[in-house]
This record gives sequence, C-alpha cells and structure tokens, in this order.
Amino acid sequence: MRKNAPKRIQEAARAPAVIHGVESGRRVETRVLEERIQKAVAEGHRLIEVQAFGQHGIGGRLWKAGDEPVTVRITGCPGQRVGSMGFPNTRIEVMGPASDDVGWLNAGAHIVVHGQATNGVGNAMAQGKIYVAGDIGARGMTMTKANPRFAPPELWVLGGAGDSLAEFMAGGTAVICGHEAHHPDNVLGHRPCVGMVGGRIFFRGPHKGFSSEDARLAEIGDGEWDWLAANLKEFLRAVGRSGLLETLLSDRAAWKLLVARKPSEKGVRAVRTMDDFRRFVWDQELGKGGLIGDLTDLDRSPIPVITTGILRRYIPVWENLKFLPPCQANCPTGIPVQKRWEMVRRGLIDEAVDIALAYTPFPVTVCGYLCPNVCMQHCTRAVEGLKPVDITVLGKSSLRARPPEPAPATGYRVAIVGGGPAGLSIAWQLYLKGHQPVVYDRGEELGGKITSTIPSLRIPDEIVRHEIDRVKSLIPRVRLNREITREEFTKIRDEFDFTVIATGAQKPRMLPIPGIERALPALDFLRAAKANLIRVGRRVVVIGAGNVGCDAATEASRLGAEEITLIDIQEPASFGKEREHAEAAGAGFLWPVATRAITAEGVELTRGDVLPADTVIVAVGDMPDLSFLPGEIATERGFVVVNERFQTSDPKVFAVGDSVRLGLLTEAIGAGRKAAEAIDALLKGREVSFDTLAPIPAARIKLEYYDPRVKGFGDADECAGECASCGSCRDCSICVTICPQNAISRKDLGGGAYEYTVDADRCIGCGFCAGACPCGIWQLVENVPLESVNGAN
Amino acid sequence: MEPMGTLHPSALSKKDLHWRILWDKEKCTLCGRCTAVCPVQAIELGVHRKRLVTVPLGIKDTPAAAFTVYHGIDQRTDAAFACVGCAMCSMVCPNDAILPVLNEDVDKQRFHINNGGIPRRRGGRRNSPGSLLDQIKFVRISMLTDPALDAGRHEFELRTLLGRILPPEEALAFSRDNGWIPPVREIYPLVIGSMSFGALSPTMWEGLQMGVAYLNEEMNMPVRMCTGEGGCPPRLLRSRFLKYVILQIASGYFGWDEIIRALPEMKEDPCAVEIKYGQGAKPGDGGLLMWYKVNNLIARVRGVPPGVSLPSPPTHQTKYSIEESVAKMIQSMYMAWGFRVPVYPKISGTSTALAVLNNLARNPIAAGLAIDGEDGGTGAAYNVSMDHMGHPIASNIRDAYLTLVTVGKQNEIPLFAGGGIGKNGNLAANAAALIMLGASGVQVGKYIMQAAAGCLGSEHDRCNICNIGQCPKGITSQDPRLYRRLDPEHVAQRLVDVYLSFDTELKKIVAPLGRSTSLPIGMSDALGIADRSAAERLQIKYVV
Repeated sequence: MRKNAPKRIQEAARAPAVIHGVESGRRVETRVLEERIQKAVAEGHRLIEVQAFGQHGIGGRLWKAGDEPVTVRITGCPGQRVGSMGFPNTRIEVMGPASDDVGWLNAGAHIVVHGQATNGVGNAMAQGKIYVAGDIGARGMTMTKANPRFAPPELWVLGGAGDSLAEFMAGGTAVICGHEAHHPDNVLGHRPCVGMVGGRIFFRGPHKGFSSEDARLAEIGDGEWDWLAANLKEFLRAVGRSGLLETLLSDRAAWKLLVARKPSEKGVRAVRTMDDFRRFVWDQELGKGGLIGDLTDLDRSPIPVITTGILRRYIPVWENLKFLPPCQANCPTGIPVQKRWEMVRRGLIDEAVDIALAYTPFPVTVCGYLCPNVCMQHCTRAVEGLKPVDITVLGKSSLRARPPEPAPATGYRVAIVGGGPAGLSIAWQLYLKGHQPVVYDRGEELGGKITSTIPSLRIPDEIVRHEIDRVKSLIPRVRLNREITREEFTKIRDEFDFTVIATGAQKPRMLPIPGIERALPALDFLRAAKANLIRVGRRVVVIGAGNVGCDAATEASRLGAEEITLIDIQEPASFGKEREHAEAAGAGFLWPVATRAITAEGVELTRGDVLPADTVIVAVGDMPDLSFLPGEIATERGFVVVNERFQTSDPKVFAVGDSVRLGLLTEAIGAGRKAAEAIDALLKGREVSFDTLAPIPAARIKLEYYDPRVKGFGDADECAGECASCGSCRDCSICVTICPQNAISRKDLGGGAYEYTVDADRCIGCGFCAGACPCGIWQLVENVPLESVNGAN
Repeated sequence: MEPMGTLHPSALSKKDLHWRILWDKEKCTLCGRCTAVCPVQAIELGVHRKRLVTVPLGIKDTPAAAFTVYHGIDQRTDAAFACVGCAMCSMVCPNDAILPVLNEDVDKQRFHINNGGIPRRRGGRRNSPGSLLDQIKFVRISMLTDPALDAGRHEFELRTLLGRILPPEEALAFSRDNGWIPPVREIYPLVIGSMSFGALSPTMWEGLQMGVAYLNEEMNMPVRMCTGEGGCPPRLLRSRFLKYVILQIASGYFGWDEIIRALPEMKEDPCAVEIKYGQGAKPGDGGLLMWYKVNNLIARVRGVPPGVSLPSPPTHQTKYSIEESVAKMIQSMYMAWGFRVPVYPKISGTSTALAVLNNLARNPIAAGLAIDGEDGGTGAAYNVSMDHMGHPIASNIRDAYLTLVTVGKQNEIPLFAGGGIGKNGNLAANAAALIMLGASGVQVGKYIMQAAAGCLGSEHDRCNICNIGQCPKGITSQDPRLYRRLDPEHVAQRLVDVYLSFDTELKKIVAPLGRSTSLPIGMSDALGIADRSAAERLQIKYVV
C-alpha cells in the first residue's frame, strides 16, 4: 500500500468491497462491473468480493494497486475469461465452477477455481498460476508462453483434462492429477500436445496417446519430483484437499511427464522405418523374398547405375578379321588388298608383292595398268573424300613377284578352251592346286584381248610379255592355233576330268543397217591395229562410245586419223583410262544419235544429217562365238548358262569370262579363280569354300586419324601408312589408351599373334574402344539377357 | 550421316534434333559413364581432327598447318538413336560436362520417326504442358463465416466412399427386402491408378505395394492401388495386403485364372474390381506386350507361357452393347467374391461418358465410374493416340456429376477422375479441384512414378521411352540391369512421403473452406477461374 495514500483509502483497503453482479433484479453489464472493480481498487480496496452473474473477464488488469496484493473472491456465476490479463499482484478465488478461458492472456495472476472449469483454461497464459479443483474442458493450457523475464505459468488440475490439451503450448507447466477424473480411462483427453513446442505436463493416470511428433515422455528426475511434491502440497491446500497429498504422492510411478520435443528432436517421426516394415511386416506376411520371392530366383538387390561385369548393359567385342575390308570384298578377283598393305607396314614388302600371284596371273597387267581398280573405288577412305590407297603402286611392283609353290601334283587334267584372261586365270589356279591344265586357243598367242586388242598406249608390251611368259613357263601344255569344233570339244570333254569354256566374246555385234559392210568391227580393227596391219582415213566415226569404242578411237588417232567422232544412242558408258586416252586423242562424243545407214560419205543419222567419215568402226559390243558348243550345254541369249560355281548344265563343263557374262578383266580372272576352286573341290571331294565374310560397314572405320590433305602417294610405304586397315587390327593400342577403366589389354599369343582382351570386372561398357578404334575392330553389343525369353520365334 | 556423305531425306543435322547434347570438351574427363548409361545410345565416343594453322607475324616464314586428333562425346543424328533428353548422362557426369537441351526450334526429327512406314510409338504423356486444373483457384476462404479450421490442428475426414451408396430410406428397404446391401469401401481419395505388373518393373511394383501397405498399417491411411491389367502376384493374392488392392480386369483378361484359383486361399477380399474399358492415354486402342518382354516372371503372374505376345484388344470380345458391358460384366465380377466386393467400370474420357453413366445409374449395384481424361499416361501407345485422342477430364467429370445431380443420385454413384492430375506438380490442388467439380476421388499414375521413383518424363517429350524397356530409372523395364537401379524400399518410402504431403496439402485446401467432416465433393461454389468460357462450361465462378 502506498505510504502516502490518503487515510480514507488506507481504511477502505482493510474493508472488503462487495460488488454485485445483479442490481435491482437486472444484470450489471460487464463494462459497468469492470468500472466498479477498478474503482474499488483505486479507492484502496485490496479484498474484493464479486457476486458474479456471467460478467466477462472478472479480476484481470488490477494494476492500479501497484505491488500491493489484491484478492478477488468470486461467487455466483462468473462469465468467460476470469482473470484475463491478470497481474501478478492479483489472486482470484472462484468459489464455484468457472466458464471458458480462465486466465486468458494471464500475465501473473494466481487463479483458484474451486469447482470445474470448462474449455480454454490458461489459453495464451504467459505467467501466473491457475488451480482447478476438478476437471477442465477442452484446449486447456493451449498457446501458453514462457517469457524468460518472468517465472513460467502453471496450471494445476485435480481431475482430468478435456480434448486438445496443450495445443501449441509453448511454455510453463501443467499438472493433471487425474483424481476422480470425468474420463478415468484418459486423463489427458483426445489428441493432447498438438503443436506443442515448449513446457511440460505432469500427469497421473491413463492416457490415449498424444502428438508424438511434438512431445515425448520423459523421466521424472528427483529434482522434478521434489518440485512436484512441494507444489502439489500448496495446490491441495489452496483447493482445500490437503488430505489427498498422501494418496497422490503414494505411487511415484503413477506420475508421467510429457515434455515438448526440441526442434532438433522433431522430424524424427516415431514411426517404423521402411526397412523394418519390409523385414517384419512385408516379408513376414508374403514370405521370404517379398512379393515375388516365390516366382524368381533372380537377384533383385539394388545396383549402381554404372556397373561392370555381367551387369553391364553393353559389352565390347574384339571383332578382328570378322569382316572383309571393302577393297578385298569388292575386288572381283578377291585379292586381299588390305592384307598386302598390312604386310608392307610390317616391312614384308616382298611377301606383299608375291601374294598377288596366288590370286591372279596378271598382277602387273591388270592391277597395275588395265583394271579400273574396283578396290580403290570402294576404298573406305573414298567415303570421306580421302584419296584411296593406290593399288597400282603394288601392282606395278609385281613384276618381280615370285609365284607360289604349287600343291603336289594330283594327276587330274582339265582342258581349258580359250587362253584369254579367264582361261589363263583358271589354268593358273588349277596349276597352283596341283592339277594339270591344258590350254587350247585359236590364236597365235596366249592372252586373248590383253595381247590382241588393248592399245599399246595403255600398257607397255614388255609388261604383258613378262606376265604371259611367266604363265607359259609354268603351264607348258598350251595348244595354240586350234580352232575347236563341236566334235573336238566333245572329245576333249570326254577325255579330260573337267573342261572349261573360256572362249570370250569374239563375235562382234553388227548393226542391221544398210551399208554395214562398209564398217569395221572394233575387235577386228583393234587386233589389226595392234599388229600395225591397218590404215585409217582422215575422218573416223566410231559407232558405240563405250570403252572398246574409246580404245578404237585412241588407236585410230595413233594411226593418223585427224577427226574422230564417237557416237552413241545414249550417254556413253565409257570411263576410266579408255575414256581419258580417247579424249586426249581429240575424239569428240556425240549423243544421243542413231545411225540410219553407212554410205560412201559417211554415217547417216536418223535425224537426217550425215557425219562425213573415211573409216567407220562399229563398237557396239561382242558376243561369244559358241558354235563349237554341243547342244546339250544350255545357253541363253548367246551366253553360256552357269550356276554360282560357274558350272554349266553339263556337270563336267565349266564356263567363265565373257562367254558367260561380259565384264572387266578382273571379273574374268575372278571367275576363273572361283571356278578353279569349285573344280578343285569336286576333284578332291570337299566342300567349296569361298570368302563369305560380309564387308565391314564403312561407319566403323575412323578416317579422322588420317591426313585429309594427302593428294597422292609416293611409294608403297606411304600407301601402307594411309591404309585404314578396315576390319583388321593394326595393333595401335589406341583402345588400351582410351579405355577409361583401363580394362583392355594386349595379349601376346606367340609367333607374332596377339589379341586384345577386356577385363569384364573393370569394363563399364562405355564403348569408347569402339568409338576410338581406327579400324572398326571393337563392337559394342548388347550383353546377353540375364533372363532369357525362350520365344515362339 | 557422314560429313562428306550423300544426303537422304531423313539425314538430320544436330540442329534438327529435338534434344541436343551440349558437351564441354574442357570439362570432360572421358570417363565413359555418359555413353555407358545412355538408354538409347544417342551418344558415342567420336574421333575428331583439329587443325592449327600458324602464320608467323609478318608472314616472314612459310605458314604451317598441323593436325592433331582428339576424342569427344558425339551425339548421333540418326533419328533411330535420337537423344530422349533423359539427362542420365548429366546425372552420372562427374564434371558437369554434358547436358541435353531442348531445341527451341520446331525440330525436324519428328518428321522422320516413321521410317519403314511405322508411325511413332512411345510411352509417357500427352506432351502438352498446359493444365486447366492448374488454373482453377479455391476462392471460398471461410475465416469467420464457417467454423475456422486449422489444417495442422484439426482432424479431417478425408476418406471417400467407393461402392453403390443407397440413400438411407432406400438402404433400409433394400436391406430388409434383400438381406444385403451393396458393399461400400471407405478409402483414401488419392488412388494409385492402374499400372500393370509388366508395364512396371518388379521393383517398382513391389515398392508401390509396400508403400501402400505401410500407409495402411503404419499411417492408418486407407490408400488403394489398382493392379492394372497384368494379373496380381500369387503371394499378394493370398496375403492380407490384398484388401489394399483394386483388381483390374481388362480386355486381355490376363492373370484372371490365377486370381480365380486363388479365391479359396484368400485371407481378405480385394478392395474392389475395376473393369477397364478404356484409358485416357490411348482411348479406343488396345495394347500388345511383345513376346520378348514376356519373361518368366511376367508369364507366371499373367498365367501364360513365356515368350508369347500378349494382345489386349481395344474392346472386350463378348460385349455387344452398353447394356451388356455394364450389366453382364458387373454382375459377373460381383459374383466372384459373393457380392462382397464393389465393381465399377473405368472408361476413357469421352463425349459419350454420360451414356455410360446413365446405364450405371439404372444398374442397382454399379459401384462407381472412373473416367480417365486425355492427359492420362501409358507405357506404350501410338503418338497420334496419345496426343490427339480423348476428352479433357474437367468438363467430363463435371458433366457426369451434374447429370447425377439432375437425377438426384450424386451421392450414390461415386465418380473417380484420372488423367493429368498433378501433371505440373500440383497434385493436391488438381485433386481438390476435381473433387469439388464432382469427383469422389482421383486416380494418379504419372505423378506417382515421378515422385516415388524419379520418372524423368515431362510434357516436353522428355524420355517417354517406357515402351522400349530401357527406362533409365528402372521403373518400366523388365531388365534386371535396369530395374535393380530401383530399390523398392526407397519407392515405398517416397510413396509414403507423397501421401503424407498430399494429405497436408489437401487439408490446407479444405480447412479454409471450413470442411472437416467430409470431402467437399461437388462443392463447386468454392471454385473460380479467370477464364470466362471455362467458368461457364464448368459452372464455376468467373474470377479476375
């Protein structure tokens, strides 16, 4: 009490002020009652008795008493929020039950409710104490605070709590004694502690759960027990139930303590881990291995994304020599072109040269000069516009080639009718296989078109001579100047083990036009020209502008013609050196034109004009002359019919070269080689074995390793260096170097042999080896399925 | 194409591709992981020349040119090996050196994925990022007008009903007359839509089922998952977990003899039976599981020999009228479990949905109707079916609901909506919108795959290769090398996460509406949209 307070006030303080909630039978408004209470305090009253009648917020805000204690005794029926915004100096005694929100926003008042209290006791209370002598309703001790500057709030409940106790409780202590609780089986009510972040709750008696995310049960330590015991005593005294002290404290174990989880303890949901669930619930119910443990033994345990060994999706395979290089695959003769360059790279130049003779008797003539070099046309390098490796370099070196040793003599004899490229090729191959070829030719010299009709400009005579001599030196049985008749042919066929028709296309096709007798067939012309036995006029017209026509034009020029015109009914099919030489000779090409007649003036065209000509040469192709052929050997459109082994309808007779199909020299030579293989197989009673490997896809070859600016090659070594070694490992070890896992190693197999192998336990199947391999050896393939599906396919 | 090669009509440059691989030579360490992981071999190691031309200053000397060779990661331009944008390469790259990026231009690749005359087929989604559901807002916020509810504090009844719900007065009479009333299930309104054992990998399927079991038994959430058409593993049929399963029967009838034979050994009834007549991703089209995908496991579950192609025709063979489809099929399926299990049909979104619904309304026991809208996903379909066939779900479900309202049966035949729910990540909002438009619940598939298993698909044609068995996450592959990347436990855990977060979000939506005692099915006064025609069509508020 203020020392200098007026005496009147000091006297008043000692006397209780009685304030009535009902006046003259009418309820006093809350605002009026509040005014009267405040006035009483201001006048010095420190004991106030309120006979309440539902007024709101009685007993709060009595700050006008300063530090002096004020007691408010409430009888009757207080309204909601008794003691709201209560001050620490205030003690409120509600002599009966209390309505909602007792001690709402309590900032220090001590409120004693001698009866039950309904909902919201202590809601948002920050300081002070609330004692309730019975049960409380829902949402008690909710949103409470704990301000570090003051003592924390307390709520003491003798009975039990209603639902949602301590929602968002942020501080203070609630004590639920559970004595004669309204719901004895659950003294904490439904869903307590939701959103609780601070404070603690002592309780005694059964409960039905709380928000375990927010709160946890804690052990009651001795210090806490002592606090509880001491303060319980005071609570019971205040509510007049001291006699219960012994009962309530008799069993320490009956008390439990709930505390708010710290932030660090939250989020750790007190739930079963999935691992636990899987082991003890899932697998327990379904059986070992879970859902499909009964259906499969496959391991289903987790694996990393990047795997090795059997778990790789793709695996690299070293496919060395599993494909043909395109040069070899496309060479009609089947010469292993790339293998020869590889020999050169390994310093085996002589072997590289010699090996050609195993495939052709004319490596220089054909590979070096006359062949359009199909191998080079298909060289992988050409795919990217790089200069193909120049096989003519090796071809021309083959002058010094040494023929391979023939196989031991078998005694089988094979007659070959026709000593041109096809006939000599088969004779050569049969000789190498140990058989005895006998060559018949109607000419004076072996070689057919090579020796008789190809202009000398295209190839030096001594080269041809050299290779023909080489053949003759090894194949002595040659019958020249022998025109074979049908009778003779039949005789030969019956006499020899096999007979081969290689008579070529010797019969010029002539046009069915007036004056055709004035023209020369190109073959006759070329043959005569080669032997310098013919002259030409100043103006020459060649009908047919193919390669033979070009050769004729070239020869005509050599023989003195000044105006040479090649005509054709379509775009000329000539190409290569033949065309180049004709053009160099100044020949003109005229197309599309058709010939109506040949007159003394020249060639009369269907369009009306006449091309003046002194000499007319017809080069529209040649046909085989098969007049010697017995009728039982089938022909079609003038050519001998053969199967894929070049065998005719007479199993003892084979046919190769232009007599079967017009073609290149190399095609005639290749046919001879294949037919020889077939004959050899028949003679020796074995299966025919041709190269059946597929050509390697060009995309597998990495040409980026080569210089794109190379314009030509100086010598064999340069050629060999630029060969991409398609499909054939060049032992460069780029794969070993590029492999990020160091999984590839080179294994020496002895005798110069080697292989590259993969350590499956290191390899991740990235395919870098395949991506980097210059030769296309490595291939990334799908790994074998872990579970094979045996399909209906 | 080779740089120097010849052109052909389908020769593409990198500029023409839908996804382009950006590779950083400086950062790359050539570790090989990207090419090893790429599901479609879109990238490979390449060899390149580098040319350096040096010219001395003042050209005092002869200029020199020198080539070197380097190796790098190349993208293939063959449409058959086109990058699918899955970005597994980025995921495994230790140096952040590789990334697929979407071509901003209209790619040319799309014009060449029909080589051989076969139109493009793929898995995934409609590739249309727009979503009407995303535009719907919940405009009714009841702070003071209805009981103020706290999503975090209050308890909400979020369960929905699946089954034929008779009005109380009818139910009593029905029960008295028949001694039976149609079965009704209380289930969580977010149903995992039908994804078959076979469409999904065994690890994915088990993970989902495990998560569902966990949600039921540990979280007390009655979540249900539909099997899809591919049978049901024998162990599941014989376990108590069967009650969490909606068994689907579709036109292929796969696995049903196994289900029938398991009847005597079942501990529990399944939740329901879904009769599939169509799906939103490829309405009116069937499916074909190629023989090489029918491995021992799938064969066993489906009750077929391994290595035999399994066709699911576009239609059921023996139903020639809507009456037959509804009455005959529902009756048959009810009989399997002694009329204890609700049976309902599922159709693709269609302008004829109301005809189906009218038939269901006349049928006394039809347990509901599921409608799968155009945005539904699939493991495999023709591009044209996926992109252009089907009906948007919002107006379809709305029409269905309002029809039920007209005939006074809106609380009797539950509607379930599917197709594109959560396609942009807004699962709860989309689900709530459909519920307020009239759905009793929703079915989701793609969202679950994305959230629970990390599916990489997107509406920009990313990945979408479920159909070729090369799923980089192991979700839709039958190859152990791929599906073992997926740990069922992790899937289950993620599924639990999805449901818990969905649950919270759904409460955050319904609490401000003042609803806690039941789902706000058809509470369309809470919906608004800033699109006048959509508002008119859906009969919801136009708000701007």
